[in-house]
Amino acid sequence: MLDIADITKQFPAVRALDGVSLEIEAGEVHGVIGENGAGKSTLMKILAGIQPPDEGSLTLEGRPYRPRHVNDASRAGVVMIHQELNLVEDLSVAENILLGREPRRLGFVDLGRMRTEASRLLEEIGASIDPKARVGDLPVAQQQLVEIAKALSQETRVLILDEPTAVLSERETALLFRLVRRLRERGVAIVYISHLLPEVLDLCDRITVLRDGRVVAETTPAESDADRLASLMVGRDLVDVYPPRTAPEATEPRLSVRDLGVPNHATGVDLDVAPGEIVGLAGLVGSGRTEIAEAIVGLRPTSGGTVRLDGEIVRFRSARHALDRGVAYVSEDRKGRGILVDLSCIENTTLPNLEAYGRVIPNRRRERRTTADWIERLDIRCPDSRGPIRSLSGGNQQKFAVASRLDARPAVLLLDEPTRGVDVGAKRELYHLISKLASEGLACVVISSELPELLGLCHRIAVMRQGRLVGVVDGPTATEESIMRLAAGVEEHVA
Amino acid sequence: MSEGTVNRNKIAAGWRLALSGLERFGVIIAFIALFGYNAITQPDTFLKPENLRNLLNQNADIGVIAVGMTIVIIAGGIDLSVGAVMAFGAAVGMITMNALFDGGTNEVLAVVIGLATGIGLGAACGLLNGVLVTIGRIPAFIVTLAGLIGFRSVTLAIAEGGEIRAADGLTALQTFGRGGLEIPGVLDYYEQPVVFYWNILIFFAVVVAGQLLLSRTRLGRHFIAVGSNETAARYSGIAVNRVRTWSYVLVGACAGVAALMSLTRMNSVSSSGVGHLAELDAIAAVVIGGTAMTGGRGRVWGTMLGVLILIMISNMLTLADVEVYWQGFVKGVIIILAVLIQRGRAN
Repeated sequence: MLDIADITKQFPAVRALDGVSLEIEAGEVHGVIGENGAGKSTLMKILAGIQPPDEGSLTLEGRPYRPRHVNDASRAGVVMIHQELNLVEDLSVAENILLGREPRRLGFVDLGRMRTEASRLLEEIGASIDPKARVGDLPVAQQQLVEIAKALSQETRVLILDEPTAVLSERETALLFRLVRRLRERGVAIVYISHLLPEVLDLCDRITVLRDGRVVAETTPAESDADRLASLMVGRDLVDVYPPRTAPEATEPRLSVRDLGVPNHATGVDLDVAPGEIVGLAGLVGSGRTEIAEAIVGLRPTSGGTVRLDGEIVRFRSARHALDRGVAYVSEDRKGRGILVDLSCIENTTLPNLEAYGRVIPNRRRERRTTADWIERLDIRCPDSRGPIRSLSGGNQQKFAVASRLDARPAVLLLDEPTRGVDVGAKRELYHLISKLASEGLACVVISSELPELLGLCHRIAVMRQGRLVGVVDGPTATEESIMRLAAGVEEHVA
Repeated sequence: MSEGTVNRNKIAAGWRLALSGLERFGVIIAFIALFGYNAITQPDTFLKPENLRNLLNQNADIGVIAVGMTIVIIAGGIDLSVGAVMAFGAAVGMITMNALFDGGTNEVLAVVIGLATGIGLGAACGLLNGVLVTIGRIPAFIVTLAGLIGFRSVTLAIAEGGEIRAADGLTALQTFGRGGLEIPGVLDYYEQPVVFYWNILIFFAVVVAGQLLLSRTRLGRHFIAVGSNETAARYSGIAVNRVRTWSYVLVGACAGVAALMSLTRMNSVSSSGVGHLAELDAIAAVVIGGTAMTGGRGRVWGTMLGVLILIMISNMLTLADVEVYWQGFVKGVIIILAVLIQRGRAN
């Protein structure tokens, strides 16, 4: 059905896809798995017409397939259902399903026919949803069914599902699987992307494993198990980029989280971090890691649980409040939340702690001096600290983001994906920086999707899955496989 | 690479530089061009010190409001209620000083208390706007649109739709309005020294204060951060709600100062006329001055030039005998041109 031959895609910093070839047959569910950054999303974006490949060719039913746009792809019958759903919340279910293809009569939308058509499609997939309901009022699982009905309304030949179960409960997942199997029987080719290995093994007919932009294996559930898939996903050499681990002085935890919950994202999370300790927080995207960190620093409402700082219960109302008490958070979303791209390097560095430079009028000379200090300490490459931060590379922007939080002299630092989009050299520097800060007594939490960096850096690693802490492993002795097994739900293990 | 290409590249680079200069300093160029044009074509009228003085005096109140508007827009908001708040502050200020004066309070004290009441009331209205926008989570456009309608209505009710005049015998207000700075050697047609009224000096003082606030103070930095990316500002530990509320309080206080200026100039308050359409003139000046409507980027000195440009255009059209009805059309065209020229900076 769909032939993918030798696809290559180069981004400025990284080769996202490197000669990827695979065949997707009609009437099969083809699983595509791999770690974050393995190239799955890029490949799917190419299939769905969101990005063009640099090299290689696509063939759909024997004819060359070169979508330049999402509409080209869907006209050719290739439809992708994103992790973030693409529905118009304020329109009804029926209007969404037939968006852009509304049946008309005398130039007006034929509402009656639109509703019957939508009902028919919803019935076909076994979804009992009112076509008149407003999409925004539906739970996410039903919204996803609406997306699938929409996909079916347009003669879909290839359906790409990107982490569809991330937002679903167990029962809803079972429903989705039944639907996927029915579509397979109708001859639809289904590409199924997931992190959760058990469901991939359960649902897929064939499984392709991507790693660092290449296909490393193509296998079937019959000849594989979750352990083998996990090691295929992570199997790569560790380069000696990590600083030596210095044991924390075993004292009372500085930050102690008990039974913390975040509505819709996490429940019952326990976490302890001692001064000088680096604790990793592993888990797949959507496992609730970021939400827990944001809840700790008061950027999200919690649903119960306590946070203690040096034994005293604290309840942060805002990032300001948390910073004042010495708890700092560096967001994973560097450009959206970490730094202010319109401001200069100096302004970014001093922003969280501007009060220290003068209550009313900040002393600009001191601001400049402090920034120069941080530039030297963190080895930031910055030709003009008065220039806009947007002109720096990602790694240097990230260092400024860290510097700005450190400038408030925190006792606890939570770093969310600190090395995302950062080149290897800068990663190494960030690791050494974190290790040095910890050895000076800072309590650090590092959230990361890159297992090698957690293994190389952390004293302990807590693993989350679907909003729950499923295990805590010892940093120096853990393996990528053991963490991946916990994160992907192969085993439960509560330390 | 042939010599021709090199030259062409140089020329292209030169153009780019010129264009980026136009984007950044277009407002200065426009100001100088307009001033020069007026000075050359109307040397006997436009350049006369008393003409310049009168032009500034008549528009100083709008200028002060425009400075406040610059701040609130840079902080990511907007305030449509400024004209109505100005009228409200002027009416209450006038009533207060009349009552005090009639009650036997010292004249100067009555005026000072009345003016302070007007400014305080402006700031209070701003506080109300700010609280509704931040804690009430209502879009600024809607809150301040309601303010525009509501505060004007209250003012009309207080004055029963008419005018409030200074009490008989209360002359301190007028004395203040006519007072000011004489610049030695600057004489009018009758060889009398030209007085640059206090209102004009207040306008320039507010411009300087506003620019310093934005570029030198912590609050100013926070305004820019919040207007540039509210989420990132919150993650950086900025008390976003407090900062945004402050921007409305400041613009409200500016409307209060404008109220004071109109009182000293007119010696009375017209409940329907004072501040009428002031919000639109102020926003126009802000836009012409090169402040981004999306927030995070802007300059008070640009707004000042925007105010002066609008004044000169009116003056130019009036002196050229263009009917007053057409002046708005020309202003509209100027606003669109200003945005087109400055758009390059946004991308």
